Order: sequence, then structure tokens, then C-alpha cells
Amino acid sequence: MHDNSQRAAGAASPPRPSGANAPAAQPRAVIPSLRAQAYKSHVKPVWCPGCGHFGVLAALTKTLAYLELPPERVAVVSGIGCSSRLPAYLAVHGFHGLHGRALPLAAGLKSARPELTVIAAGGDGDGFSIGGNHFLHACRRNQDLTYIVMDNEVYGMTKGQASPTTQPDWCRSKLTPHGTGIRRFQPAAIALAAGASFIARGFAGDPAGLTRLLAAAIEHPGFAFVHVLSPCRTYRPEQQAWKDRVHPCGLEPARDIARAAELIQRDDGMALGILFEQQIPVYAAGVVATNDEHRRHTAANAGALAQIEAELCR
Amino acid sequence: MSATNPGGIIESVAELLAHALELEYASHAHYAQLADSMAVHHNTAVAQLFRRLATMSAEHAAAVAARVGDMDLPRIPPWGFKWECPDAPEGGDCMDPGVSFGMTTVQALELALHNERRGHAYYAHCAASAAVPDARSLAAEMAAEEAEHLSLLERMLAEERRQHRNAPDDLDPPHTPA
Repeated sequence: MHDNSQRAAGAASPPRPSGANAPAAQPRAVIPSLRAQAYKSHVKPVWCPGCGHFGVLAALTKTLAYLELPPERVAVVSGIGCSSRLPAYLAVHGFHGLHGRALPLAAGLKSARPELTVIAAGGDGDGFSIGGNHFLHACRRNQDLTYIVMDNEVYGMTKGQASPTTQPDWCRSKLTPHGTGIRRFQPAAIALAAGASFIARGFAGDPAGLTRLLAAAIEHPGFAFVHVLSPCRTYRPEQQAWKDRVHPCGLEPARDIARAAELIQRDDGMALGILFEQQIPVYAAGVVATNDEHRRHTAANAGALAQIEAELCR
Repeated sequence: MSATNPGGIIESVAELLAHALELEYASHAHYAQLADSMAVHHNTAVAQLFRRLATMSAEHAAAVAARVGDMDLPRIPPWGFKWECPDAPEGGDCMDPGVSFGMTTVQALELALHNERRGHAYYAHCAASAAVPDARSLAAEMAAEEAEHLSLLERMLAEERRQHRNAPDDLDPPHTPA
């Protein structure tokens, strides 16, 4: 696990051109794009210019700034893939894990360090194929995590193969020249069926709307799944048209599971907003507990874990 | 796609300045990110151009910040700004047409010009619609400054078009069927 949080805790680095007046301290405290700088690391993203993931990175840094979460109290955990490079670009704790294993890593981290805000992130292949089983059980377990899936319907890092969310007739890969012929994985429907207590869909090309969703997801007590439509400029250039196809879901507040199920089953996959949210007991350290019980149990278990580590790591 | 606060009217000078600062810092962040991205992809000429545009945005931001002085600015959530586009008018977004690792300096300047026109249109809108006279006159000043920025970019674009730089070779093209 790397610790980029020192950079953020030390100082934001607002743009300060030589010879120009330095921005006053007060704007630094209230302007979102300026405050968000404090959550970006010095690592330059290797994503293709125009990639949707830049929009997610921008939205997430603005969200963390808006929520005033201290960088040293936030951890972002990922698997493998283009989107899973996210932790390196943030000035918070980060863990770039194994393919498809962002959720079990995040679950373990949250169990051991319940005081952290833990965010798992990755792509559609990582989350719905290699890590698909973890996704199902994270939904029903309702541990206090946020899971961001940046869905571009393609494996981009390995140069453009069909993923679980790719249309069955997509034939722009030499691996599937006639398409996959397989029905698409439906992330929101499956999350709802698996018992997720917060399901939202955002769009990387709508950073303001996405910021609002991410803030709601992080503040939600329990497992919050945010499905982000994040176009791939290089292998799926046709996804640029998504900006004309997305539309509000019109469900908020979305507390009626029957309405949510109907919309999710009937919609075109482009409806944005909170699709479903409910308050149910949060899982903590092997028990379903109320929030107060959650805090007591997890703190006690974290103490026990520290004792074991102290004994075994001598 | 959701506009942040369509049809919102600027109510005060402080609110206008908060919007102007967000606009300029978002512009800086956008160009700095594009410059980094182009540098990573070895498109040096475009990286240098975006770096220059980022510096210009930072200078504009500093000029706006100097106007703020001791004034208290409202704290606006990222989704609460009163503009029609999904991000700040000069912030661009990941849906910018023409952005790719192989883009040319002409395409980069066309992108910047598009963003600057949106910024100019935004200030012109505020100059016509803000609720108080002080905010309207300040917005008009800012619109005039944006017009100067537009002229500068148009001159830069004309010069780049004269130079006829080619797009860089793509040494690792997408592995897709012909």
C-alpha cells in the first residue's frame, strides 16, 4: 500500500505562475477546482488523452475536497486495468492489487481500519468478470465501502477485447471479429438483485453530476455501488455519442425497490442518478450491526488484530 | 446530461467572482492535465502548447483572485455552479472532440478557442443577467478580457495553420480489424 497522503496533507499546489499575484488564501478554501488539487498526486496519468477516466479522477478529487476528508483518512483500492491505475493519481492511501480483487482487498482493509473511508475502484472487466463473484457478495454483505466501476465496455489495457458489458455484436476486435454473441452483464440489475443498498449511475462526461453521486455514495452507510459510464477514446470511439444519449433517471429519491427494479430492467442503460438507496444494517467484522454496534465491534477487532500482528511480526 | 444549475442568475459580485475563479482554475487543471497526458504520449509540441495555455489560465486565475481581496466568497458545491454546461465553461470535459494522443497543435488551439468562446459567452450572459449592477459591470469587464484572450488565441491559431505541422506518427495504433 503506498502512501501519497503526505503530499496532500502538506500543501495543496495551486497553480501559481511566476510573476503573477498569488491567489488569496480565502479562494483556496472555497473554490472546488483549487481545493481538488490537494488530492492529486504528482504521478502523471498514462490514460489516453480524452479518456473518460479523467472525468472520474476530477470528480473524485472534488468529492473528497467537498466532503473535507483528510487525505490520510482515505484509502483507494483497485485491481488491474486502465481504470485501476486510479490510486496512483490520488494523494491518499492507495493499493493497486490483483486483477478482480479490489473488493476483497477493500473489505479486508475496512475491517482492519474501520476509521478509514475506503473506496474500491476498477473497470468493467476487473469488476464484473474476473472479480464478478466478489461483486455479488460485496453487494449483499453491505460493508461500509464505496465501489466505483468505470465502465467502457472494453478491455483497454490489453488493446481492446470484449468485456462483460460489451454489446454482443461488437466486432471491432480481432479476437471477436463477429462479436461475442453473448448477452451483456447488467451491473445495476445484478447489484439490486444481490442486495446492494445504494446503486447509482454516473457519466464521466458530466463531472458535476458525478461529483454529487460520489458524495452521496461515500456518505451512504453501507455498500455503495457507482456505475460510471466512462468512454474509451481509443478502442470505442463511438462512445463519444454517449453525451447525447445519457438522461436523468427521474427516480430520486429512489427508495422503492419495485420502481428501481422496473426502471433498471426497462431503461436503455443510460439513465443517470441514484437508482436505488435504502438504509439497512451495516456489516461489520462478521456481524450485522447497528451503526453504534458497528463502531464498537470494528474497533475491538482492530485492537485484536494489532495484538496478533505485534506477536507474529516480532 | 445534467447542467449544474441551468438558468441560474448571479446574485452578487462575490458570487460572480467565485464562478470566475472556478472557471479559471478548472481551465488551468484541464490544460495542465492535457499537457501531462500529451507528454506521457510523447506528443511534445502539443504538450508544450497545453502547458503554455495552462500558464495563461493560471495568470487569469491570479488576476481574478487579486480582485477578490478580503471579500468573503460563497462556498458553492461542485454541482451548484450557475452555468449551463456540465463542467466550468473553460474547464472542458473528457468529451472534447478531437482530443487524442495524435492531435496537432492546430487542433489543440481549436479546442482552446472553443473553450474561450464558452467563457466569453458565459461572462456576456452574466453581464446581461446578473441581479445587481456591480456584478453586471464586473462581468462586462471580464467579458472584454475574454475577448482579448480570444483574439490572442485566434492569432496563435492563424500562425499554427501557416506552419502546417503534421500529426505525429502513431507507432502503436489500436489493434482493431481493418
